[in-house]
Amino acid sequence: MKSLILKDIYNIMHNMKALVLMLFIFLFITIPQGGAAAYVITCCILCAMMVVTTFSFDENAKWEKYAMIMPISRKDLVLSKFVILLCFCLFGTVFGGVLGIAGSAIIGRFHITSASEWQELLAVCLAGVAISFFLGSLVIPLLFKFGAEKARTLMLAAFLLPVLLCLGLYYLLRSFGIELTDSVVLLLTCISPLVLLLWTAAMYRISFGIFKKAEF
Amino acid sequence: MKPILQVENLTKQYPDFTLDHISFSVPRGTIVGLIGENGAGKSTTLKGILDLIRKDDGTVRLFGEELTEDRKDMKEDIGVVFDGIHFHESLTPAKIEKISAAAYKKWNTQTYHDYLKQFALPADKEIKTFSKGMKMKLSIAAALSHDPKLLILDEATSGLDPVMRDDILDVFLDFVQDENHSILMSSHITTDLEKVADYIAFLHNGKIIFDKEKDELIYRYGIIRCSSSQFEKLDKEDILACRKKDYQWDVLVADREKAARRYKDFVIDNATIDDILLLYVKGDVLS
Repeated sequence: MKSLILKDIYNIMHNMKALVLMLFIFLFITIPQGGAAAYVITCCILCAMMVVTTFSFDENAKWEKYAMIMPISRKDLVLSKFVILLCFCLFGTVFGGVLGIAGSAIIGRFHITSASEWQELLAVCLAGVAISFFLGSLVIPLLFKFGAEKARTLMLAAFLLPVLLCLGLYYLLRSFGIELTDSVVLLLTCISPLVLLLWTAAMYRISFGIFKKAEF
Repeated sequence: MKPILQVENLTKQYPDFTLDHISFSVPRGTIVGLIGENGAGKSTTLKGILDLIRKDDGTVRLFGEELTEDRKDMKEDIGVVFDGIHFHESLTPAKIEKISAAAYKKWNTQTYHDYLKQFALPADKEIKTFSKGMKMKLSIAAALSHDPKLLILDEATSGLDPVMRDDILDVFLDFVQDENHSILMSSHITTDLEKVADYIAFLHNGKIIFDKEKDELIYRYGIIRCSSSQFEKLDKEDILACRKKDYQWDVLVADREKAARRYKDFVIDNATIDDILLLYVKGDVLS
């Protein structure tokens, strides 16, 4: 497992300059419009999508065939992709958080002395990790099934699916007269870690099911 | 003593190809060469052994036990070199060392660096700057640096120049000096196998044609070069395979000396592995 994580980190470090440049460009686009919160979410999602790049690198090198002759199980390989996704999401939130605060403070949209703004941003950072990990987890089974190139195309459709489901649920609840009050939102926020955990477990099982059948 | 690798009835069916009940073994302290034309099933056999494909039938026993994907301890004892490098092009030998050291419990940094030095490979240069030969040497260095008991090589010497091939073959011969070490190598370069192999397994159209000691093949087998009229006089029982050329017949026999005694006026040459392979693949097989 450690070797697989190391391998992905070494490979991504090679692309680090391009990633950091892209994150800086988004800094100037996002901060004036959406503030630090929007920038954090953007960073998290952009960094999470680096998991697609790791698959692309692996495909080019036909790494999976080699990995399977090393003392590494298929479970390890699948799990490593979820671990590296989490690493990317955490990197995104830290990077986005630090630069987002600095950028917003410079243009006066974030007040360093305001405890409530810090609390709000911390909540956004956590939400950023959760959202990007959720979306990244959705992509991993596609990557195992279709490979990096096809998965890139299917990714947008895959992202639309949970959005449409949430919207559908929202309108369904509304049609039954259930409004999204503060208490409902709080309840949803409280159960979101459990939902994310169950979601990750489901995506891991699907990914492993696909990779278990793979031949090299 | 049990062989280090025992393959029994290994079968894998594809829509256009079948690996058909392959059986052979790799005894301890030996090098077994796997030969055959392109598409004969050599790589499929190696993949079957390494559990990289799902077998339709048969068993593969490594060190007396069946290899399954959760047997990490068994994988520790196997070094593999494929026909191309599978490390990412942006990595360096130094980074590969860190990745491999994290994977293998028995990874030996000193051995790895000794091989890098022996093969003149720079530790901090990216693989994409390496020639094909350098990439193969790096794969061999990585495969040998975790103290494997069995080396599986798929066309590992194909990208190397004759001088480097000779050096690498010496490394392989050193490796099997330990009686608990063995090598299974597939190769198109049959002269390499003539130098180092103890046994030759010949695959043709997904089937094992023979699995014999190399010395028997090159010291006992012979090729009778004869005219059509002479060919008619040959006892067909003596013929393993034959091929008609423009003006002569090439006839493979299993016992050169016996043939020389029986057919006194015939020209009988030593058979190389290439000759044997060509006669089996392009000629008519009689027995």
